[in-house]
Amino acid sequence: MISCRNIVVAAAFAALAATGSVAKAEDVTLTVWSHEADEPAKVALREQAARNLEAKHPGLTVKITWYEKDGLNSALRTALPSGQGPDVFYVEPDQVEYITNGLIAPLDDLVNWNNIYDWARAVWTHDGKTWALPEEAYTDELYYNKDMLAKLGAKLPDNAQFSQADFLELVKKARAADITPIAAGVGDRPYPGAYVLAEALLRKLGTDDYGKLLHGQLSFEDPRVVGVFKWVKELVDAGAYPKNFMTLKLGESHHYFYQKPGALTFPMGSFYSGRAFVPVDQGGQAADFPLGIMQFPAMDGAACNECKTVAVGASFAVNAASKHKELAAEYLNELATPEMGKRWIETVYLQTAVKTGDIQFSGPYAAYFTELMDRQKGAKYFTGMPVDVLTGACKDAFVQVMNKAFPGGLMSVDEAVKAMNEGCYKG
Amino acid sequence: MTASELQPVRTDDGLASQGARQTSRATLLAFVVPAVAIFVLFTLYPVLRTIWNSTQTLGPMGNGTFVGLQNFEEILFRDKTFWKAVSNTAIFTIVGTIADVAGGLLLALCLYAGAPMSRTLRVIWFTPVLMSYVVVGIIWTWLYDYDWGLINHILRWIGLGALEQSWLGDPNTALWAVLVTHLWKWLGFNMIICLAALSALPKEVLGAAELDACGWWAKLVYVITPMLWPTLLNLTVLSFIGKMMMFDLVWIMTGGGPLWATETVSTYVYKRAFNWNTFNLGYPSAIAVLWSGMIIAFVLLMMRLFRQRERLEF
Repeated sequence: MISCRNIVVAAAFAALAATGSVAKAEDVTLTVWSHEADEPAKVALREQAARNLEAKHPGLTVKITWYEKDGLNSALRTALPSGQGPDVFYVEPDQVEYITNGLIAPLDDLVNWNNIYDWARAVWTHDGKTWALPEEAYTDELYYNKDMLAKLGAKLPDNAQFSQADFLELVKKARAADITPIAAGVGDRPYPGAYVLAEALLRKLGTDDYGKLLHGQLSFEDPRVVGVFKWVKELVDAGAYPKNFMTLKLGESHHYFYQKPGALTFPMGSFYSGRAFVPVDQGGQAADFPLGIMQFPAMDGAACNECKTVAVGASFAVNAASKHKELAAEYLNELATPEMGKRWIETVYLQTAVKTGDIQFSGPYAAYFTELMDRQKGAKYFTGMPVDVLTGACKDAFVQVMNKAFPGGLMSVDEAVKAMNEGCYKG
Repeated sequence: MTASELQPVRTDDGLASQGARQTSRATLLAFVVPAVAIFVLFTLYPVLRTIWNSTQTLGPMGNGTFVGLQNFEEILFRDKTFWKAVSNTAIFTIVGTIADVAGGLLLALCLYAGAPMSRTLRVIWFTPVLMSYVVVGIIWTWLYDYDWGLINHILRWIGLGALEQSWLGDPNTALWAVLVTHLWKWLGFNMIICLAALSALPKEVLGAAELDACGWWAKLVYVITPMLWPTLLNLTVLSFIGKMMMFDLVWIMTGGGPLWATETVSTYVYKRAFNWNTFNLGYPSAIAVLWSGMIIAFVLLMMRLFRQRERLEF
């Protein structure tokens, strides 16, 4: 006969079975939504950080869902306002709406900031709080073909920076030799056409006034600004850009520079390496391609000829509605260890916001990274590409005018200045 | 069908006709309720919500600020880009619709008249319809490329190098270049519809016209076209509505540039909603509401102009 005690024990087991296994202290799933599903090196790094965190917390599962950017942003736009969404998600610095609308949690007291460069942290600092952990960083660079430069009889100055007059002369020489002076195309991106103009404005104005210009506090009719527009107009009129500038896509412009037909220079973020340092049959540059990096030209009467733009790309934020904020922050810390930073540079071939200490570069691209680091010596950084900093009508004007129509030769200086002022200037 | 066929059927288990009616109502509900629910959830609610949003300045948590008709006032009286987009969309719609329908009819007549290789031509002309806008956009962007595009190559080859253009990069040609691409994609669809309508024309009427020594042009104008009129009107209205909402192809080929030369109302709404680094969906909702109203008004106007309301079937 079944005793009452047996019945009670059986009932207890049944109840346990019904509710699943006995819960561990950390029986938690941390959800992460990330962009860049198509970049194996980044996928491997973020998955490794997840495994490292799981190893420290038995019972914890870190589940990363991989998206492309548009899909991720659409999913976040739906999930976050309804108080759902992942614990951690990929963000970029132009997505300030997540901050202004209280959708992400401040990380000042949660993340170990000793491992992050101050300038990179500053990108995510608004109203005295830090809102996301920057992982990827890049600078605006002017790549060039060393052989073509030599062929034109030009020599790079010791400081790797031509004057604005010399650069204009170089552009004219290149065009006369039937060499495209600047490979760039705006067929599918809102920024490549503006590199030369934006960097020239930054040098001419210095970081403070350049920031004011982008934030609508300085008129584009300022004589210094107009002077820079006039110089760029001279470049455009000298045939600096490819004739298919308006339809050339980003990937095609890489190909244009280092494969066919070839170009003298190529202004690009240092994420250049992501497309160039892959096998030739996948669109990369040849192993023996004579790649060099020069500084953007020095402007006459410039406030800061050593200035350059640094930008933060891939970053991660913690959902303000997350129930596991501390664990989420621990995942961010796992992404930002010096070892992970070193591995980032060696596998992603890109700068990072994570402090890595002194690294001795090795491997096939050691010379490239050494030169890239040389170009950073003494640099004063302005943080943020214009397309990331600008919003609303000003961003639209930037994309249409500074990125496309002006370098595309469709506008005069006066028209461009007027259009930019209409979109941006709040004075 | 006779009246007796409409009588309730007595079932095997002996239920009366009343019971059969009740079952019928339940069955009816079982079919109707899901459809109505889907309509309410995915059509009616979004439409009403968009109209409501258009009177708000919105944050992401639904915390909107009621601004009344302020968004509409801004759009109608101060937004130059909106009016540029309206102008482009109007050109695209009017020229595109006429060319679409007339071109489709011409191709159909060509096949109907038994042109050589008509089977092959039908396949060739219809194939672009099967391609996605993304594929079509990429192919034509290459064709239009200044340096290595086929169109400029041909111009140079036949000695008309002076006419080579940055077709998508020049504000004077960009909209027309996109329009040609759109026509290339959709002519085949209109051709097939017209061809089906031509094939369904009563042979005796056409035969009678031939017996009366009616020439092909007179037969086309006075016999065939009037009989095809309902089909052509339906195609016109459908084409009109489609072009008023044009987004995909423009977005892929030009993104609305250069200098807003190809900006359509739909691309502008998208930019305002998702590319301006703001969560405020109030303003783009107002544009969407305004534009939807305009489309409905134009469709009603077209129906009235054509005086064929009862024959339209879209």
